[in-house]
Amino acid sequence: MASMSGDRVDLIAASLRHQSEPASEEAMLVEAAREGDRAAFGRLYDRYARMVHGILLARVPVRDVDDLVQDVFVMALRRLSTLRDTRSFGAWLAAIARNLANDHYRRLAPEDQLTEEASDTDNKADGENDAAAVLEVVRSLPDAYRETLILRLVEGMTGPEIAARTGLTHGSVRVNLHRGMQLLRAKLSPNPETEP
Amino acid sequence: MEMKNEAQATIGDYLWNGSGEPDPEIQRLEGVLGQFRHDRPAPVFPELVPSRRRMRWIPVFAAAAAAAVVVVTFLIAHEKKSAPVAVAGWSVSGVAGAPRVGNKTVGVNAGAGRLGVGQVLETDQQSRARLQAEQIGQIDVEPGTRLRLLSMGTGLKRIALDRGTIDAFIWSPPGEFVVDTPSAMTVDLGCAYTLQVDDAGDGVVRTSLGWVGFKLNGHESFIPAGAACKTRPKTGPGTPYFEDASPKFRNALTRFDFEDNTPQQRADDLAIVLAEARTHDALTLWHLLARVEDGQRVIVYDRLAKLAPPPAGVTKAGILRLDQPMLDLWWNQLGFDDISIWRHWEHAWAGTSAAALGK
Repeated sequence: MASMSGDRVDLIAASLRHQSEPASEEAMLVEAAREGDRAAFGRLYDRYARMVHGILLARVPVRDVDDLVQDVFVMALRRLSTLRDTRSFGAWLAAIARNLANDHYRRLAPEDQLTEEASDTDNKADGENDAAAVLEVVRSLPDAYRETLILRLVEGMTGPEIAARTGLTHGSVRVNLHRGMQLLRAKLSPNPETEP
Repeated sequence: MEMKNEAQATIGDYLWNGSGEPDPEIQRLEGVLGQFRHDRPAPVFPELVPSRRRMRWIPVFAAAAAAAVVVVTFLIAHEKKSAPVAVAGWSVSGVAGAPRVGNKTVGVNAGAGRLGVGQVLETDQQSRARLQAEQIGQIDVEPGTRLRLLSMGTGLKRIALDRGTIDAFIWSPPGEFVVDTPSAMTVDLGCAYTLQVDDAGDGVVRTSLGWVGFKLNGHESFIPAGAACKTRPKTGPGTPYFEDASPKFRNALTRFDFEDNTPQQRADDLAIVLAEARTHDALTLWHLLARVEDGQRVIVYDRLAKLAPPPAGVTKAGILRLDQPMLDLWWNQLGFDDISIWRHWEHAWAGTSAAALGK
């Protein structure tokens, strides 16, 4: 059997760990955060920061993502009392992130929307240019695919983890990953004949 | 063949949860894109004001609290009544001309409208429209089209295409999005396809990405990317074929599916199809196994076995008696897609939606 890299072991371990996480533990964290427990909210941040970061990265310029991650959590903190079902915290947070990303995108000047990553790449090393170029291809995919693929390929989340965090079904995540990868392979392929 | 299926499964597992045989391209993408990964520690968040302060119940406040509850309850109920009700449906935007939802025109620059359950969208010869639903996909509606939204919600999403052309790009899970036409039910199993229905109810589906299932009266056709399939009212789906097959092959197949009236005509056209078939046309021959008369099945088997030898576990006797697991095993060997996706969703339908579909 081939040996596994550290990242892979982490990924599988995260998958297994996540499957055994009791949903009620999260509800308790949300409840505690509502009561003003900042440590509990910090733990929610640790759990969900990658999801929020990935959702934003799928929609807004890279340079703005980190600031917006913080904005999403601050907004969530302020609105936490309006969350009716503590079990749906992830889906609720994802909705806040998507809304904030859309608002941010609308506020960008048109030239920033179209050229920001391209101009950024001019001053970067080859590896960074390659990464930016691949990211742009991923971001050119339909919403559902690009978000799920970024959570998987950039943030290193497993399929089960993406499903649990975002509130999507396993089936939806699986199909988004599968179809998104098909499209991504086709777009990255230098030979159109290899397209699916 | 088993090794191939196993490889497909393990690649799928790697994408799903990092287990199984690593896919080199996915690993490369993980490496390249990993530099964008979130790596910042939690910031210091502002002090929270608890949403619910614990308070002692002082009797004198109890009556006031109860009264407040009554007032707030009334206000909430009132607010709920006056709040707009979310309507399940697709958003509709005009792309050209003046598409209509019912009697209402959807202007090109007027922003998105709504196609609700039971409503009809029509485009004239100068109009085009686009339907979008975040959890389902996007449908471009070409000129001269009439379609109806039959259902939305968490289960099956259905529209009926009465006539015209739609280009569908679907990302809901396989089997959830269905288009009824006068001559077949189209089931999305993949990504992108074009469906045309003429005024007589004749239809054709062309798949550009993924694959699509056609179904009517027990007739099933699987149409992978690059292939097409015709349907006719009452007859249902024909046999799928690749559009780059020879004209002789395609014409004979159309006659075999829809026009031949005598056993001799069918035998003659079947002979042409078998003679003209290329390796790639195993798609067509596999479907024909279940569509020819019992006595003709052996010649289809022989030709298909020559073009795409059956895998271990598939016997001639089994195929001649249309053993389903063996047919599925052979299909998977052809390299179009794993038929278990279809079987899974077909099974799901059988329990939940077949009655609703009336098929």
